[in-house]
Amino acid sequence: MKPRTPPPLWRATKWIVLLVLLAAAYSLSWRVTQPDFLKLIVAAPKAKQIIGDFLHPDIIEREAEISLIEIPFPIPCGSTEVEAAPAPVRLRVEPACAEPRGIFRVSGSDLGPGSTVVMRWLLPSGGTLPIEQYPVDEEGAFSAEIQARPIAATKDGVPARLQAEVSVPLTRIHVSQAMRDVLNAIMVTIFMALLSTTLGTLIAAPLSFLAARNITRTSRLGSVVYYLVRSLLNITRSFEPLVIATIFALIVGYGTPFAGVLGLVITTAASLGKMFSEAVESIDPGPIEAITASGARRSQVVMYGVVPQIIPDFLSYIIYHWDINVRLSTIIGFVGGGGIGYYLSQRFNSFEYHKASTAILAIIVVVWALDFLSAQVRKRMA
Amino acid sequence: MLPLSSHPAHPPGECPLLQVQNLTKVYPSGTVALKDVSFDVDDREFLVVIGLSGSGKSTLLRCINRLIEPTSGRVLWDGQDITAAAPAELRSIRRQIGMVFQQFNLVRRSSVLTNVLSGRLGYANPWLSLIGLWPPTERERAMRALERVGIADKVNERADALSGGQQQRVGVARALMQEPRLLLADEPIASLDPVLAHSILQYLEQLNKKDGITVICSLHFLDLVHRYATRVIGLKDGIKVFEGLPQEIDRKRFKEVYGEEAQEVRAASLEAA
Amino acid sequence: MKPTPPARRSRLVAVILSTIIPGLGQGWLGEWPRALGVFLATVTALGATLWYGKPGWLVIPAALWVWNVFDCLRLPRGAPLWLATLLWLGMAYGIGWQATEINPRAFIENSERARSVFRPMLEPDFFRLRTEVRQGWVEVEVPCSSAPPRAEHTVEAVTVRVSPDCASLNEALIVTVEGLWPNEPTQVFWSTPIGDIKLVGGQYNAMLLVTSDEAGKITALVRVPPSAQDAMPDPTLPLKHRVYVEQERKIGGIEISRNGGYILQGIYETLALALLTTTLGAVLALPLSFPAARNLMSGHAVTFFIYLVIRTILNILRSIEALIMAIIFVVIVGLGPFAGMLALTVHTVAALAKLYSEVVEGIDPGPIEAVRATGATWLQVVRFAVIPQIVPLFTALTIYRWDINVRMSTIIGFVGGGGIGYFLWQWLVLNDYRAVSSCFIAIAVVVLTLDTFSARVRERLG
Repeated sequence: MKPRTPPPLWRATKWIVLLVLLAAAYSLSWRVTQPDFLKLIVAAPKAKQIIGDFLHPDIIEREAEISLIEIPFPIPCGSTEVEAAPAPVRLRVEPACAEPRGIFRVSGSDLGPGSTVVMRWLLPSGGTLPIEQYPVDEEGAFSAEIQARPIAATKDGVPARLQAEVSVPLTRIHVSQAMRDVLNAIMVTIFMALLSTTLGTLIAAPLSFLAARNITRTSRLGSVVYYLVRSLLNITRSFEPLVIATIFALIVGYGTPFAGVLGLVITTAASLGKMFSEAVESIDPGPIEAITASGARRSQVVMYGVVPQIIPDFLSYIIYHWDINVRLSTIIGFVGGGGIGYYLSQRFNSFEYHKASTAILAIIVVVWALDFLSAQVRKRMA
Repeated sequence: MLPLSSHPAHPPGECPLLQVQNLTKVYPSGTVALKDVSFDVDDREFLVVIGLSGSGKSTLLRCINRLIEPTSGRVLWDGQDITAAAPAELRSIRRQIGMVFQQFNLVRRSSVLTNVLSGRLGYANPWLSLIGLWPPTERERAMRALERVGIADKVNERADALSGGQQQRVGVARALMQEPRLLLADEPIASLDPVLAHSILQYLEQLNKKDGITVICSLHFLDLVHRYATRVIGLKDGIKVFEGLPQEIDRKRFKEVYGEEAQEVRAASLEAA
Repeated sequence: MKPTPPARRSRLVAVILSTIIPGLGQGWLGEWPRALGVFLATVTALGATLWYGKPGWLVIPAALWVWNVFDCLRLPRGAPLWLATLLWLGMAYGIGWQATEINPRAFIENSERARSVFRPMLEPDFFRLRTEVRQGWVEVEVPCSSAPPRAEHTVEAVTVRVSPDCASLNEALIVTVEGLWPNEPTQVFWSTPIGDIKLVGGQYNAMLLVTSDEAGKITALVRVPPSAQDAMPDPTLPLKHRVYVEQERKIGGIEISRNGGYILQGIYETLALALLTTTLGAVLALPLSFPAARNLMSGHAVTFFIYLVIRTILNILRSIEALIMAIIFVVIVGLGPFAGMLALTVHTVAALAKLYSEVVEGIDPGPIEAVRATGATWLQVVRFAVIPQIVPLFTALTIYRWDINVRMSTIIGFVGGGGIGYFLWQWLVLNDYRAVSSCFIAIAVVVLTLDTFSARVRERLG
């Protein structure tokens, strides 16, 4: 019998309805997402600055000689007695005290050309309040106007202190602290991927047999187990590891790599469990029959009839998931899972884009290198 | 092996090697694959089971070593009831019954040696075999089995690197490892070229004549039945429709087994022969 | 003089070489793959141990080094490989276990915290019973001024009276309320001038609950909370605080709770993000996929250069997770779905362009030849030989990417990119685990539904 073709009118209506639905979906999506491409142009200067920062990652730094100068600064004037500054201080404050919100001038000389001065308040309460960073001119002098913040007011007769951190660059170059921190975090990240892949595999392997139609669904109880495990795997798989890691971060501590590993282990187990079970389902029942017929025990049948058939598939899935886990462990720190992601999010929160750029570079390099490595391994296996 | 005391009617030596009594198999789907099939097999027989595909040949062979659980009826091995055997007993009976399959049923990714050795699992130490350790005597036995089927040079190759005929020879070697008294061959040549088919059946014949291994073999081709069988059983829709010597299969008998349409084909093949 | 063949070279020299650099001796004896393996194993083990900085672990690279010398000595048979493998894996997992701070005991140590997280999660906050509210309030001066206004106020039917009309901290006030629903529990609480809610039940740590009588009246004794004047610049200045009474009763039926509404909005945003980014990404990836196909571009040096540049850019973009891009875009264009959309679009373009270009690279030249042989024009060749080959695969890849984008857009909100993840993050910060739980359920339902849907579609296409 020939399949009946629906009348053209019906087909046209179907298409029109489909198109209208699609158009509606797009217009609704457009409205809620509020794409504002003008913003991209308006924000261009900001973007330029950030991208500029990104193009100068903090990898090496020139060693610098750092000296700290501190001057007590009473706010308001007369709130406490200040002894005269010792003679060779290279920093002057005029006037030597100020009312709250009053403006005063800080100037310095003989600080060494090319150096920078970072000014900050050391509050009576023990906290610090950054002011700004000032470049020093060619004569080694700098001058800046600073406002006396009310929060830096004298408390219980103890005045706030103005601190100047003068760093004079030397010619020697060394790996920057940021670079060292990034390397450290990257190593942790790689280990996170390694451990989560391994632990996930160890959980997934037994689960996959329970979730394999041909192994488990031999009795009614087996059917129940099969559907239970299958649904568990499917539901777990629908969560991104980042979502799961948020919960673990709450329990085992925010920012610990352990939280990230747990999140990754759960999703790895779920998704490998599904892949493994499909590999188990596609095995050839012939050898199992043959080995059973020879009088072998069940364990022997599994070892000689099942395992050799699934090992290559399992291995290639594990490598595939190792790749995914490397990528995911670079971002799982965003939700408190430790590793390079945690470092990166912290640098973003404190607007240190040079350091963030170092971290992103490291991520690119590591992801590339490990991708290459696993591609080689896969080529070998095939 | 001594028969169980529950069967005093068959003293040792007199009882047939294998007795199939009223065997019936109904699949959960409702298909009746075997219906009340009974026959005896004596030592050193070459029994051939014929019938169309779907006539119940495979089910019959698998019910003998309980790869498929029969619905009712009994299978007696040397007087011992296989159908009622406990798992350990069943394993020790199974290791005396070798089996060769239409699709060879080798582990394609394992080496030829591992495949042949896996025929010996019923005898091996369960723990050592699990981690792949085999005593040298077993390895030598595997080499001898491979030499007998003429592919000792392929011992370290992967099973899927071999041709179909070679793979079936590995299957025969695997069955030989069991030192079987009975060999079940389920359409051993249906996946092979006619030339190879003869060579495989010649190995089976050799095992039957020289080593005294009883063979139950299901076959499609009638001319091969005439050439190798000592006795023939015909199945149609799960019912035994013929039992006798190969030369007793005439046109009428043939029609009973294979149905009306097959007649002309057979006639043609006879004229060609 | 011919060089000695590697197999006949001196064992002694090889052993010395291996002692200096692991693997070198094996290489000198001609076993280069083994040499590379030994070298990499020892160096990675040494590197990881030095990085970790606990001297005890140095035992393992040292043992590997010794193994390497032994291996060189016993070539061609070599030392047992399983020993080296075991050593290396022991190092990797041992250091990994410690470096990632794996500590299963944390579950027991923090079981209290875990319970406080999971118990609320058993009651997801999505629906609530429909209720109606009756509320009244009155202003009370704290502390008393010379002439405090009368503390009586009526909202609709509810009249609240307090006597005396003013009080200082910890002083007692009598609150009488009329016009409430009869026989219903009534909440009484304190609100400071800046809107801080203070509890007045128990030791100022519980809600004061009074049941109204037959006539809808309550009388309650309330003490001014001692913290009522916290953060007031001048505690001597009389200010108007409020006493609130509130009744809530069920009117049957259920409705979506406030957080439930947010979840629906988040899901809506998530789906919108996935749809728009996939479409936009596919549209942009399409023209990029042809110059990124090797077979089309390898003919000429210039085109090959373009191919290399595009491929490199795509590869770099692909190795940066969308979440990282989202952070950058959030900094540039601000919080909201738009930042997430930009990030996901960029990532989608990079991923799809690569997949598309692989399809283009895999085109069977046979049909092209055949169509060309019929005398067809270039456009006809594209229409009848190229498009039929690539369209089904492109569609399948796009749907596959849509799947990924739905998942991604559930988390892009963690960094401020919009979608359900944004709400989830807020609730996690606010410790509202009932909302978190219903968020989880919503994500599972949406992802599972769309997974099934796209699997069906792909099946029909395949």
